[in-house]
Amino acid sequence: MREGSGTASASALKEVLPRKGILYQEDFAYLALCRPKLMPLKSVTLEKLEAMQKNAQDKLRQQQQQQQEQQGLGGVGSSAARPNIF
Amino acid sequence: MDPLFLALSNFRRRNFEKCVEICTELLNKNPLDQSVWSLKTRALTEQVWVDECDGEEEGLADVLMDDNTIASVARPGTSLRSAPPSSAGGPSQTFRPSTQSGRPLSGVVRPGSQGGRPGTMDQALRTPRTAQTARPVSATSGRHVRLGTASMVSTGDGPFINLARLNVAKYANQQNIAKALFEYIYFHENDVRHALDLAAQATQALNFKDWWWKVQLGRCYYRLGLFRDAEKQFKSALKQQDNINTFLSLGRVYIRLDQPMASLDVYKDGLDKFPGEVTLLTAISRIYEGLNDLPKAVKFYKDVLQCDATHVEAIACIGTNHFYSDQPEVALRFYRRLLQMGIYNCEIFNNLGLCCFYAQQYDMTLTCFERALSLATDQGIADVWYNLGHIALGIGDINLAYQCFRLALVSDNDHGESYNNLGVLEYRRGNLETARAFFMTSASLSPHMYQPHYNHAKLAHKVGDLQTSFIIVQKALNLFPAHVDSQELLKTLETHFQTL
Repeated sequence: MREGSGTASASALKEVLPRKGILYQEDFAYLALCRPKLMPLKSVTLEKLEAMQKNAQDKLRQQQQQQQEQQGLGGVGSSAARPNIF
Repeated sequence: MDPLFLALSNFRRRNFEKCVEICTELLNKNPLDQSVWSLKTRALTEQVWVDECDGEEEGLADVLMDDNTIASVARPGTSLRSAPPSSAGGPSQTFRPSTQSGRPLSGVVRPGSQGGRPGTMDQALRTPRTAQTARPVSATSGRHVRLGTASMVSTGDGPFINLARLNVAKYANQQNIAKALFEYIYFHENDVRHALDLAAQATQALNFKDWWWKVQLGRCYYRLGLFRDAEKQFKSALKQQDNINTFLSLGRVYIRLDQPMASLDVYKDGLDKFPGEVTLLTAISRIYEGLNDLPKAVKFYKDVLQCDATHVEAIACIGTNHFYSDQPEVALRFYRRLLQMGIYNCEIFNNLGLCCFYAQQYDMTLTCFERALSLATDQGIADVWYNLGHIALGIGDINLAYQCFRLALVSDNDHGESYNNLGVLEYRRGNLETARAFFMTSASLSPHMYQPHYNHAKLAHKVGDLQTSFIIVQKALNLFPAHVDSQELLKTLETHFQTL
């Protein structure tokens, strides 16, 4: 207890020492939090699979970009050939 | 220098792309050179080779239309699919989070163990909505096909071998190149039917005397889902030659048939022949872990560490187990060991941060989490924020915790745990309606967790909606029968209804 208010509250509160019966304590049921989660490491195989997949995706993307660039170049050429309607 | 020698040297040094390049040039000059041709198949195979004994992803069709399981209602503790027994001696569900399938969270994630096994069609179809865990429709599609396209992309100018025009019978008789060709078809082309054809003809050509071909036949059958045929081939191969790989493959067949006890027997037979073999010991531990028998799993992981002190999976799993059995300081030592061994990623720093915090080494905690956040990928960052939320709760900074859980949801909108914890925080703030919405979202996103159900029931009880509370607390008890608080809530409700 804090020193300042000690005298007043000490007289107000009586200590209880039951002579008979069961000493009990009230138990509150709180809401349940989900527990902290350790993250599982990735196995070597999984890492390899993911790396391969990522490589493949990158390569595909590169190829698509190249194709688009080529088409884009073609597109510029064709638009130049097209008559300007504005 | 002789180009073939150079190609061989590159192959040995695992410069497969260079090796393939040289072989292609040589084959352009002389297309009939068998040695170069065979070397090229081997180099192409090595590029995409993966260890199949580590498990594989099961597709949607495999999981849902699975009629290989022998007992649909298995006895407790004998199935990897039905609900695990809760009183197996390990830490209870209160402390140790579980995966979607209700199995305890493992220290290592492997190809097969990512998504978990959904219980119902509804769950299975809902999972792919989260882009990160999209489940392929069938095992024959999915990752195998994706890797197949990957290999096609890398070659550029069409496939190296045209399988449709391959004279299988001719190559089946040439044992010196048939094996390399088989692996090429199986791994690189992912064409199991052609591979099976080749293996069947080759084993015939040798009068069924070569165990290697039998194992390959078994693998093809396994990939095609013909598990009983695969089992026969593996057993026949084991009669001729004891081989670790064959034991592992046979064990995997039984796992797919959902007979973990049978696969344990196989692995133990294997251990009799190859005492102290790490892969067999690891396989045993994985099964015990799947059966929720954590003390035994840890025992075998410790055996693994006796034989191989740098086994990442064993260290991680033992560390995880210590963490959840209230010994974070011991777990910290295991994870620190992993860090010393050179593993440097988001997961390890996240785990170190958590261990440090709960082992009361507060100086390191935030540093570890900062490192984890800087290394995190899109997949992992939600979990890091979620765990940081716990640190914030631990130091009593509710606002920070709130923000962390929110950030976890920003990175992964389907993070059920964060929803639940946000619900608890909202409940404390007195926003009961918001809390209820969070609990309901959490319960629908993570049907394997009991916490949102319990919390929702508790909340409903508080606002006087006893009927809802009664229904929902039963859901919580279904998921975690030994949860004392739920049992008491149910008892209170029952007495209440009886007095009415």
